[in-house]
Amino acid sequence: MTVAVELQDASRAFGEGHTRVVALHPTNLSVNGGEFVAIMGPSGSGKTTLLSLIGGLDRPTSGRITVDGQDLAKLNGSGLAVLRRRVVGYVFQDLNLLAGLTARENVSLPMELDGRPAKETRAAADATLEVLGVRGLAHRFPNDLSGGEQQRVAIGRALAGGRKILLADEPTGALDSITGESVMRLLRSHCKDGGTVILVTHDAAHAAWADRVVFLRDGRIVDETRAEARESVGAGVA
Amino acid sequence: MSFRYGLLALLAEEERHGYELKTAFERRTGGQWAINIGQVYTTLQRLERDGLVEPAGADGERNDYRITAAGRGQLDEWYATPVVAEGPPRDELMIKVLLAVAAADVDVTDLLQRQRRASIEQLQAYTRRKARAHPADDLAFLMMLDALIYRTEGEIRWLDAAEARIRQSPNTNGGDR
Repeated sequence: MTVAVELQDASRAFGEGHTRVVALHPTNLSVNGGEFVAIMGPSGSGKTTLLSLIGGLDRPTSGRITVDGQDLAKLNGSGLAVLRRRVVGYVFQDLNLLAGLTARENVSLPMELDGRPAKETRAAADATLEVLGVRGLAHRFPNDLSGGEQQRVAIGRALAGGRKILLADEPTGALDSITGESVMRLLRSHCKDGGTVILVTHDAAHAAWADRVVFLRDGRIVDETRAEARESVGAGVA
Repeated sequence: MSFRYGLLALLAEEERHGYELKTAFERRTGGQWAINIGQVYTTLQRLERDGLVEPAGADGERNDYRITAAGRGQLDEWYATPVVAEGPPRDELMIKVLLAVAAADVDVTDLLQRQRRASIEQLQAYTRRKARAHPADDLAFLMMLDALIYRTEGEIRWLDAAEARIRQSPNTNGGDR
């Protein structure tokens, strides 16, 4: 089992002296390749900080973070950009799809920025949209898509080009329950295919799609679900 | 809920005998409530006594029943009446937390987190069954799982709200953590 993401005593603090605020106390977390981990906690508990550190959008104040075997501290800005284009994809609650680009163009954009030829990125984008069940919408613009369709395109953009690690921050916030569930099924199937998902959510019903749920409070991991509970809990439903 | 409406609903579709009613009820409601055949016959006898069903004539060994006009009337009324709980249910979790908040020697924050973890593990178990179900074939089963999932999710939301309230309150033993 390979380790996809590892935090060793990673922390993040803002400000100095008496205005210093610790968003994340020194934290250890290891996520295996193929694993689906959900992070839950109240507002301000450090969930988004944790995700930003893993995605290289922010740097830790102390400690070490390894993503796909690479020590993030050893990557400069362009090294991190390459990591985000090839290894790590992001999905946010606000989809951030570019309104002037079609679904296919949105999905292929990160690959184009990575310098891959247009013909190849187009084929890869279509293949990803196919897997997500929205291949028929490739030529549409974001404003002509429903919330659920837009979220599928956003996931497509995060995964296209073979990126293995998906970081999702409240990706189902604006969706109804059944559409949100279909997004969770997509994340689940990404892990079945060997990918890794780290999901930040308030929604327990969505977190429950994960293999493991980690609870954050006041910038610390305080608890997590037990692997052994997987087999023993839930008797009574056939 | 009285099982009598379940039998009336199935007999409103077609004439059935006792064993058919048992299997149809179990299948239709997601396969989670096993019914004892004795319970089916006792209920049928009461429904017949009250004029809501009647024997449809002997067919060899089987005794089919059919719904009467009065039975249809009661069934329609049942479907038309929303289900509203009378007073708060005697919920062990709710009572336990309310007592713990006032108890000096119970760490409520720990209690809430242990419960939250257990409830999420329960949700994971339901969700794994949901992931394995076939949307086309298992509609009743999926709807039953949805009901269990949203009920458990509601419980977790309540735990979250309880913790937030305790943290904001100066007068509770969990408030200083």
